[in-house]
Amino acid sequence: MAHETQQDIHHPSTKQYVLIAIILFAITIVEFLLIWDRVGIQDDLGSAKIPLLVGLSVVKFYIVIMFYMHLRFDDKIFTRIFIAGLALAFLVGVALLGLFTGLNGDQRSYALDRAIPYVEHAETEKAEETTTPAAGGTTETAAPGPITLTISAVGDSLAFDTSDITASPGDEVTITFINPSTANTHNIVIVEDGTKDAVATDGTVAGQDNNWVKPGDSRVIANSVLIGPGDSGEVTFTAPASGTYQFVCTFPGHNFTMFGDFVVN
Amino acid sequence: MAHAVEPEYTTTGLSHRKMLMWVFLGSDCLFFGALIATYMVYRGQSLVGPYPIDIISVPVTTISTFVLLMSSFAMVQALAATNADNKRGIVGWLLATAFLGAIFIGFQVFEFNSFKNEGLTLGGNLFGASFFTLTGFHGAHVTLGIIWLLAMAIMAAKGRVGPKTALDVELLGLYWHFVDIVWIVIFTLLYLIGGFDAGPLVPPGG
Repeated sequence: MAHETQQDIHHPSTKQYVLIAIILFAITIVEFLLIWDRVGIQDDLGSAKIPLLVGLSVVKFYIVIMFYMHLRFDDKIFTRIFIAGLALAFLVGVALLGLFTGLNGDQRSYALDRAIPYVEHAETEKAEETTTPAAGGTTETAAPGPITLTISAVGDSLAFDTSDITASPGDEVTITFINPSTANTHNIVIVEDGTKDAVATDGTVAGQDNNWVKPGDSRVIANSVLIGPGDSGEVTFTAPASGTYQFVCTFPGHNFTMFGDFVVN
Repeated sequence: MAHAVEPEYTTTGLSHRKMLMWVFLGSDCLFFGALIATYMVYRGQSLVGPYPIDIISVPVTTISTFVLLMSSFAMVQALAATNADNKRGIVGWLLATAFLGAIFIGFQVFEFNSFKNEGLTLGGNLFGASFFTLTGFHGAHVTLGIIWLLAMAIMAAKGRVGPKTALDVELLGLYWHFVDIVWIVIFTLLYLIGGFDAGPLVPPGG
């Protein structure tokens, strides 16, 4: 193979390879020093930090492909093939970033505003919903004198229509939760005051199968199952001792805007 | 090796196998480009922790980056030894490359494990999903490279690798260096730049 013998003449020597390795190490050390807070350089860099780090990694990238991968000494067509792939990958990245940052950084609301409900999907969810509450035993709430409250989500927004609900200690409270949304699934969880975000975080880890609530969470007083778009459900519990509690939707992300106070007095 | 004995006739005068390797590497750029872009798109969009600043240790990963860079140096030495027909050198440098690659994977296993213990999972938040997918696929590439290196080292020990089959080692080297440059990009974007990201950059709910 003719091209191989040709390459042998041009291949860098061991000395040069060692030099390249040292340069690569040196750049990595510089990069590390730039961002290590104990060195303190990064405070002086300000907005120059990211371009500098990107620039340094481009230099490393270039050195490796040109010398270690011999592109500099090899036929130009290999460089062209590789650069074509690299350029396309770069463009894919730019296009994706442009697309997503163009949505004002809030992809969820953007998608929500434009979501078209998928009817069949909603129907299957409905079927699932009707079976779960029955198993949860919420049908036995016909006892005399319970307090019945109704709460609704506000359209497709991540909010409840009520900011506070009240009950007396020991009341048997039944909350009917209506979800008029065309796209969002919600739940309603009654929690100790100030714990809504922590409960939601643990609920996210617990997963959808646990209705986004950690099983056995001591901060949770009561919770509903997941209630799909256009659906409604009930949760019944005995009102705890006097004090302020919170109600929240623990569907991941909803807890920041979808909550209210539950006051027992 | 039949291909090394028979002359290869190609329209470009260049080895088809080498061409194929470069085409593969070019396409693999797109593979990693898409995963890196996904990470960047979801950067700072996680609604729940752990966030990068909670778990990423840049000093530890700087060490593993060093190790991977060193393995690239060992790889070029393996190719040089092949061209010089230094059988001991070939086996030694190939094993050294594989060993350094294995140390890198060891670091990654350690890192993944400690991240998991701190609550970062593939399904927990956007950071976990995009981080593990990207670095996991990179780790898979490194692992494949280690297997290839060990297979080549065994062949070299049997005396089947030399100047006539230098292309075999060169192609392995191209793959290995590619894995290295992908890590250069990942290290810069996910660790040096993104490693200090805290909670959501944009308040959720709009």
